Amino acid sequence: MSLYSRMVIVLTSVGLISGSFLATVGTLTKEQIALNIQREIEEAIVHVIPGAVRSEKLYEEKDLTIYGGKDGDGALIGFGILAAGVGFQDRIALMLGTNISLTRTKKMRIIEQKETPGLGANIDDEETFLIFWENKDCSEHLSLRKPAVKTPEELSPMEINTITGATISSESVLKIVNSALERARQLIKEGAFQIGEPDDN
Amino acid sequence: MELVAIFISAILVNNFVLYYFLGICPFLGVSKKIDSALSMGLAVTFVMTITSVVSWAINNWILIPYELDYLKIVSFILVIASLVQLVEMFIRKMSPPLYQALGIYLPLITTNCAIMGLALLAALREYGFAEAVVFGVGSGLGFTLAIVLMAGIREQLDLADVPEPLKGAGIALIVAGIMALGFMAFIGMIR
Amino acid sequence: MTTKSIVQEFTKGLWDENPVFRQLLGLCPTLAVTGWVINGLAMGLATTFVLIFSSLVISSIKKLIPSQVRIATFIVVIATFVTIADLFLKAYFYQISKALGPYVPLIVVNCIILGRQEAFSSKNSVGRSFIDALGMSSGFILALLVLSSIREILGAGTFLGYKVMGPWFKPWIIMILPPGAFLALGILLGIALHIESKTKSRK
Repeated sequence: MSLYSRMVIVLTSVGLISGSFLATVGTLTKEQIALNIQREIEEAIVHVIPGAVRSEKLYEEKDLTIYGGKDGDGALIGFGILAAGVGFQDRIALMLGTNISLTRTKKMRIIEQKETPGLGANIDDEETFLIFWENKDCSEHLSLRKPAVKTPEELSPMEINTITGATISSESVLKIVNSALERARQLIKEGAFQIGEPDDN
Repeated sequence: MELVAIFISAILVNNFVLYYFLGICPFLGVSKKIDSALSMGLAVTFVMTITSVVSWAINNWILIPYELDYLKIVSFILVIASLVQLVEMFIRKMSPPLYQALGIYLPLITTNCAIMGLALLAALREYGFAEAVVFGVGSGLGFTLAIVLMAGIREQLDLADVPEPLKGAGIALIVAGIMALGFMAFIGMIR
Repeated sequence: MTTKSIVQEFTKGLWDENPVFRQLLGLCPTLAVTGWVINGLAMGLATTFVLIFSSLVISSIKKLIPSQVRIATFIVVIATFVTIADLFLKAYFYQISKALGPYVPLIVVNCIILGRQEAFSSKNSVGRSFIDALGMSSGFILALLVLSSIREILGAGTFLGYKVMGPWFKPWIIMILPPGAFLALGILLGIALHIESKTKSRK
């Protein structure tokens, strides 16, 4: 057997064996991986829309996905807006719960962030940041309150609190939320997806 | 506008070497003299740009449509290995002295995490074609910038009195740390 | 060339030929994921998996591979095991997979693995290659643990997430960030070389 044909045979067999190995493992794990991603999103939606037990994906585009949160009777009780954008260090992805008219926020959860530990990374902390996002009036753009205040009561309905020493991270989150809400409002106006759809089971 | 942001952030803010820690081996190995550093940087930039395009094509035309996502790592690294081989042959023909200067580090571009990292990050961020190209060029230039700066500093360090245990890699890493600190100043530029 | 004993085959990876501190290989992941001990540990274990299995496979088939295509073959074998490790983490350790990000696929370009195939597994028996891989992996995990412990304790005051420094300690956040990684590794290398030269001069 010439060297050339040996080379080809070896490479092809290695390639085929590797390929089939990977195809097997890939198919075996595919479901579980999709489940993991799905579960993370569902948990976030149930968290940011109190009372929701199920969710349904209503709309998806780059960096923005809108989910509907439904209660036990199948009624739509809020939106879960999954939005992403640029933070101080890297990407930030968050899930914001709102009511169905997009006028009041419910709760927020940070899904993904790589901000500075101890400072910007506190954007995913309930007590120092997220709690200030609950039940705000978001019919217009929200704004940032600087310097930071101690309790949610000190903020006006359209203000959210900054994190001392992490203004840029806080501002990034604000920007992501404001543009996501604006886009969502625009989409509803265009009828890009249905709201208040009757549940069909 | 967003393309500009990707470009600048790849060079300065999220510099491949000083932020993502990609390309450390050549960074430490070839950064002793400014001209070889520059040639290495440009060779890497060239390979990165082409890799960005080819891996984008493979990912978006073959892997995703046929749900072959698990073949991503294998296909990307094979593409990179072949590209580096081609570049190596090209440089050997076109400029033997350059080929000599880069030595072992040329084939080592294959295991240069920077190239594989580039392909993976572009796929992860779901960049479109234009974005992938800009990202490739930008990251390559960022790598070149870091490696040339490092070479400049090391050429000076050669004349300085460095403690024995720190000579070579040790002091290079410490310098890299200070450089990384400096580059952190660029964070927040993209606003 | 003297043949090493089995024990020596293993222990050389821990110090004399430690992949990170002595051979300066695999620095990319070493710097990238050692901000937190748990991440360093996970990365070490994933790399161990890839290194051991790649070495086993390659030293088993070494006689079948023509020399001209050996690098390509090594790469395909390594990439296969890296993909398996990546898929496994994504499926069963999702949070860790997220924390390690693109660095798990990047194990495929970890010079340690390709280096060992070229230098050892392709030229030695399956048994010895296994021991060699085990030793190198342990050395790598050791390096990751040392570096990540320093970075996490100094940078966040915790170890594996548990607070170990008292409230008087103000963390040096820089240690968890890129500059801290470079500085810590540079200083550790200096210390390692210093110890090495001291023991050599004593012999």
